[in-house]
Amino acid sequence: MEIEEIKGTFKPELIPKETGGDLDDYEDALHVLMKFMGSMSSALEQVSGRGANAIVYQAGKRMGHESAKMMEKTENLEQALDEMGDVLGHEFYFEKWKPSGQSSYTTQEGDQVVIKLLFMDCVVRQTLRRTGLPQKGPLCYLLYGYMVGAVEEVMDIKGKIDIDHVGPNACLKTLTIKWSGK
Amino acid sequence: MVNIVIDEDACVGCGSCVEDCPNDVYEMDETKNKTKVVKLDDCMACLSCHEICPAQAMEHQDIHVAKRLYIDRKVNYALERII
Ligand code: SF4
Ligand code: SF4
Repeated sequence: MEIEEIKGTFKPELIPKETGGDLDDYEDALHVLMKFMGSMSSALEQVSGRGANAIVYQAGKRMGHESAKMMEKTENLEQALDEMGDVLGHEFYFEKWKPSGQSSYTTQEGDQVVIKLLFMDCVVRQTLRRTGLPQKGPLCYLLYGYMVGAVEEVMDIKGKIDIDHVGPNACLKTLTIKWSGK
Repeated sequence: MVNIVIDEDACVGCGSCVEDCPNDVYEMDETKNKTKVVKLDDCMACLSCHEICPAQAMEHQDIHVAKRLYIDRKVNYALERII
């Protein structure tokens, strides 16, 4: 394949007006990054075993806390999730989910509130499929950490997330928050 | 609202979908030895059943189809021209 070199004049600028490249370049970059992430995840698992999950979880949690700093603080879980949905955008598109026999999305268990989230679009899932890796591995912990970090930041409480089920088109997770503080 | 259509001619009655579905959407119809949908409202369109079914006997209609950006468009385009 012949690589076309782009030549031009370049002046210092705050925000570049043009990014260079077209859709094919974006696609190539995405695939390279997916392969890179996949191989980093398996290497991490090989070296650190189950510790890999904890490392990636912490990284995700930090990202979650950072991005949720801009969100409005609330004590309402459903409102917090709506805000997080806006921030996560279409690449991590999720909805609240409940079995047909349950009347509301949230259930109270002692001092804990539980809600099920259905992740329909997920860049992590796409990366795993691109690199032939199984779901529920270290990379999935990035999203768990992210969600927990963001909820903790917005609601100022302690949270955890568990996987109920992973599928090729959607994954179901349970978010639990504890009202008794951090 | 999701709808599931089972191709009864294709279904081999292995019961894998019944075992695999986390929400017990399917049950075996013992007389026909085919799967049947019993809890459609609980289907969350995860499509795990599609991956496990050896006969590709089910179709989910009117669901959110997740983005599949991991598929290379150039490969797709080339395949489309061959097949
Ligand atoms: S898509 Fe998921 S929830 Fe729906 S029937 Fe298949 S396995 Fe069950
Ligand atoms: S997995 Fe497929 S072939 Fe097996 S019972 Fe279910 S629909 Fe039929």
